[in-house]
Amino acid sequence: MATAKTGEIALRPVNELDIEAVCAIDEKLSGQDRPGEWERRISYYLRRDPELSLVAVEGKKVVGFMLGEVKAGEFGLEEPAGWIEVLGVDPQCQGRSVGKKLLEGMLAGFKARGAKAVRTLVNETGQKELFGFFEAGGFKSTPIRTLERKV
Amino acid sequence: MENVRSSTLPKKYHDAVVRWGQTFLPDYPLLLDNWEKFFPHDKRHELCAYRQMGMCDEIECGTMKGKPKFHKANEMTPELADHLLKAVKAQASTELGSIQQHQLTLARAPEEVDQFWVLRMMAEELRHGYQMFHVLLEDDWAAVSDTKGEDMVEEILQMRTGSHVLGAFNVDFDSFVDNIVFCALIDRVGKYQLAMQKVSAYKPMAESMPPMLQEEAFHLATGVVPIRRWVQSAAKEEGYVGMDHLQKVINKWFPRGLDMFGDERGGGSNVKMGLKPMNNAEAAKQYTEEVQQLVSDLNLRYLRARFPKLSRDEAQERLKRIVEKGDAVEGVGPDNLLRLPHHSFFRRRGIHAYQMIDIDGKKVETLDGFKSHLKSVLPEAYATARDMTKFFELMGKVVHGEVKADDAVHILPNLSRVGGVCPCSRAVRWVVDEPQKSNGH
Ligand SMILES: [Fe+2]
Ligand SMILES: [Fe+2]
Repeated sequence: MATAKTGEIALRPVNELDIEAVCAIDEKLSGQDRPGEWERRISYYLRRDPELSLVAVEGKKVVGFMLGEVKAGEFGLEEPAGWIEVLGVDPQCQGRSVGKKLLEGMLAGFKARGAKAVRTLVNETGQKELFGFFEAGGFKSTPIRTLERKV
Repeated sequence: MENVRSSTLPKKYHDAVVRWGQTFLPDYPLLLDNWEKFFPHDKRHELCAYRQMGMCDEIECGTMKGKPKFHKANEMTPELADHLLKAVKAQASTELGSIQQHQLTLARAPEEVDQFWVLRMMAEELRHGYQMFHVLLEDDWAAVSDTKGEDMVEEILQMRTGSHVLGAFNVDFDSFVDNIVFCALIDRVGKYQLAMQKVSAYKPMAESMPPMLQEEAFHLATGVVPIRRWVQSAAKEEGYVGMDHLQKVINKWFPRGLDMFGDERGGGSNVKMGLKPMNNAEAAKQYTEEVQQLVSDLNLRYLRARFPKLSRDEAQERLKRIVEKGDAVEGVGPDNLLRLPHHSFFRRRGIHAYQMIDIDGKKVETLDGFKSHLKSVLPEAYATARDMTKFFELMGKVVHGEVKADDAVHILPNLSRVGGVCPCSRAVRWVVDEPQKSNGH
């Protein structure tokens, strides 16, 4: 298992034993303990492409995660594209470029899998910080709009 | 999977594996029929061999480090080929052996999702066995070994629970808890073996590993996720499995997992020959740390489900107090939580093999004392199983000085293995030259 010296941040693929650490980061960020949610999400990515989704570690401690996959044919967009579904960084490690490192690692993985573009969905008004993070990472708004209505 | 080449075995061998699957994995068509329901958009399972292209061309460890990897069997020394063939055979035997074990109790899954995850995992194990056959059959081993690839394939297909190469695959499952704990503990050893063989000096073996490892990640989740759920249900006193039973099933499998790494004093020659990057003791140590982490996470989950008002930090603190000080807090003490058995407990390989050591690592003086200890810490159904009967027979001989512990290690499995086919046996010859006969005779 990849480890990093104290103070150094390393990346490695997420595994099933990271579920608890990811729950802990999410709980710090959202205030909710959601084990079932992370069991479901992480096992989904482990099933689909276990080498792509990443965690950032300091020593053996997981301090961030980014989950995503390559899809083709989504929304009628035929070319394979990387999709970043979720990102979380331990608040104690924010400001140390953990998110940036995770993004770089994921971009390399997407590229190796033949993705021509990488997409994600962010709420521009409700998630300003996240929006800024992706903008700084070179992401631009596209004309594709999410449409929604109540049912 | 990018940059992966897929291929199939020559027809008669492919057909043999298909026939084997029809016998030991009869629910395979059910899996395919329900694939979209349980694994929407996932690539459908295929019975074929995958090879990862573009891997390292130079030997990565040992005395030949930096030299070109071997592409053909006849480039290797007989000694190297012998080590490699033993590893391939053991690997193939584990893949098929686990299917035979899982099949026994698959139908007893309390939840359909868990059942289909295990079923998919079994189909992937069949592919892994197929992959190892591909390694055996794609090359000509005649220059370096007396064993023919074809004979090895037939021999492996003939193995049953009780005659497999490694002990963990000769133990019957008693309930669906076995299916799940096996995935979490024994497939984890598999992950180590595959990860180590990714560096193999024999390139076709190295290339076979990444696609298998990818599937192994799912197998580990197939084990760990249901256990996490069960532990949380147990904390609320609902659900299928209590902590006490789960502990007993862990006690059943953890020693077999450690045995799979081989003798703690060995593995050095594999490293020297460039077949694996770690010796047995190093790999077993890392494995133990991982399982310890799993156990700690499960205990934390138990406490959080049992005491929902505790914050994560408070639950961590409490866990530490219970485990390290042995305190009971609000009715939960060490006995209500999970733990790893001592590494020397109930071992059949390595320096602690056939020593009477209890779950805490303490020596038990008498055979009867050891028998009753094992009975109290192992699942009831397993304590009377044929594997245990054989174990105690041998253990008795060791205690009475009739067999040395070091020799006992090599006695099990006391094989009902069929090499070739005896005219009076009921064994089917799996690899046949003509379209299927009713049986081998
Ligand atoms: Fe496997
Ligand atoms: Fe497996």
